[in-house]
Amino acid sequence: MTISKLLVANRGEIAARVLRTARARGLATAVLRHTSEQEGPAHLIADEVVTIEGPTPVAAYLDIPQIVEAAKRIGADAVHPGYGFLSENAGFVAALDKAGVTFVGPTSEVIDLMGDKIRARAFVEERGFPVAPSAIEDDDPATFVERSHAVGYPLLIKPSAGGGGKGMRVVREDSALETEIETARREGERYFGDGRLFVERYIERPRHIEVQVMGDGQGNVVHFWERECSIQRRFQKIIEETPSPALSPQQRLDICETAAGIARAVNYRGAGTVEFIYAQDGAFYFLEMNTRIQVEHPVTEMVTGFDLVAEQLRVAAGEGLSAAQADIPQIGHSIELRICAEDATEDFRPAIGDILLLDEPQGEGVRVDSGILDGGKVTTDFDPMLSKLIVHGPDRAGAIARARQAVQNYVVLGVTTNTGYLDAILAHPDFASGDVSTGFLAEQADALTAPGEDVTDLLMAVAALSDERLVRDVMQIPQMHRKMGGWRN
Amino acid sequence: MRRIFQIDGEETECWLSHDGSHFMLNTDDGAVPCRLDPTGVPGGHVLRARGRVQDVRLAVGPDATFVHMNGRTYAIGRVDPAERLAGSDGAAADDRIVAPMPGVVVSVNARPGDHVKEGQPLLVIESMKLETSLTALRDGVVAEIPFAAGDSFGLKATLAQLAPEED
Repeated sequence: MTISKLLVANRGEIAARVLRTARARGLATAVLRHTSEQEGPAHLIADEVVTIEGPTPVAAYLDIPQIVEAAKRIGADAVHPGYGFLSENAGFVAALDKAGVTFVGPTSEVIDLMGDKIRARAFVEERGFPVAPSAIEDDDPATFVERSHAVGYPLLIKPSAGGGGKGMRVVREDSALETEIETARREGERYFGDGRLFVERYIERPRHIEVQVMGDGQGNVVHFWERECSIQRRFQKIIEETPSPALSPQQRLDICETAAGIARAVNYRGAGTVEFIYAQDGAFYFLEMNTRIQVEHPVTEMVTGFDLVAEQLRVAAGEGLSAAQADIPQIGHSIELRICAEDATEDFRPAIGDILLLDEPQGEGVRVDSGILDGGKVTTDFDPMLSKLIVHGPDRAGAIARARQAVQNYVVLGVTTNTGYLDAILAHPDFASGDVSTGFLAEQADALTAPGEDVTDLLMAVAALSDERLVRDVMQIPQMHRKMGGWRN
Repeated sequence: MRRIFQIDGEETECWLSHDGSHFMLNTDDGAVPCRLDPTGVPGGHVLRARGRVQDVRLAVGPDATFVHMNGRTYAIGRVDPAERLAGSDGAAADDRIVAPMPGVVVSVNARPGDHVKEGQPLLVIESMKLETSLTALRDGVVAEIPFAAGDSFGLKATLAQLAPEED
């Protein structure tokens, strides 16, 4: 099944990034665009732009029948879903299969399995891979308290129907368990109308470490090493790096081979990421598997030298993987910063506006995967991530220095972005020493948003001197004075 | 010539003058000679002020001037003195529902002319994937709801306005 024409069913930076590789491989390319959407970099790269309609732009990008129909109409023989939207939707894969269009990704069965967090966890545990100790009330309500004791402390009680941290309670000792279970049950009933619970071991100050895997669907699976993504706000990553500063060489091999083993167990096809919770004592537990290319995949490309989208397209075309495990190096250090339209000093409130001036950094070891154009408009229709700044350096300190220089030179004027906040994280001594956990941004919130040097007077001077009307009026005063015979105020 | 700017949420006033050879920025802290010269790059300027020579990039938007300086980006709101006066002696605070963040209108539940009670939902908005119902801050008559379902709005946009209370 060769691929000659690829439709990218996505937008923004990832659509542009996929299109670049597809074109380099000689494919004809097409990308979607909602009727109300601004032109972006992807629309300039693709050979063809397919207009989609829907009550909201997001609804259009989730409209399976419309997108499958578009693929058939333009004669695309493959669809790349990017990340988000339909990338992990088994129904989309099934619809494409039925239409005879190749989905660049895993089978619908694997997407289904890994999309169900409880089934995925059970699958992984049954095959002997590490998961955090847990107890699910539904398995046997009569023994729930007993089984919760056996999980060990500290433990976390979560509503089965829950999300967003509501109703979650940390229990540190035996004596509090039963009271806390009852409180959590009442909260679950109140928030979700469902009082069923589960408990799992609570990992103090955890790190988020994940492993890039790639399979050919024929039993061959390789890993492309790990990424550390502990720098998160609102449970979303904003800085990722590889290698992880937390792992010893042996731990690195253990976690990467565990991930490859999990992918092998499902005969994985395409690019995927196995995510782990990493405890301060070095233990790690399976969290979930994402069955798509991830936002942060470029850091892996920077240290391995592989183009992961090219590997995805090879596998989808039946050409297999281009490398064996021994051929995949991890050279130097790479960091990615997610540039988002948001105000970090106002609880990351999303910002909108017109991009009046855009000047993105470039240079040795600097890569920008951008989804915006100079003169574009940032709206609330989509996610606030505008682009990604990725750097590579010989070592971690070198990469941090390069990232700081690049983010300081990232000029986006007209809409508030988090570039200053990202720079403050990079400058923090705990980030420099690698001593972070997923709670880092919340713990250091005040330090990271502290005001810098007071330059109010310089800013006023710039604003005043760039106000053409003001400057013209001020310059006319002396002439008026002359006419009025030396009047002074 | 007086100007009011808003920097980091705080209003600050200055007065620009020219002494025949230099522009002077006058603030509560005194007078500083200053000068801004364009360079070749888009938005690029050199600022000379307070003994410093500073490369800046700037863009002048409709309500704010954006400045990139020393690796940081600043938004300087330009406050129209006339508008500020109108705002201070104009509508009472509870006449108006102002957008707490940018978003999209999901539904509009009241029309101009409707008599509404305090707490009655006027419209539902979506911001950051969260739906929020916005309710009347007092009993009154709806004067205006400028947006329809599906419309996007910006931070601090007026989403609903009640007719002024009659004393």
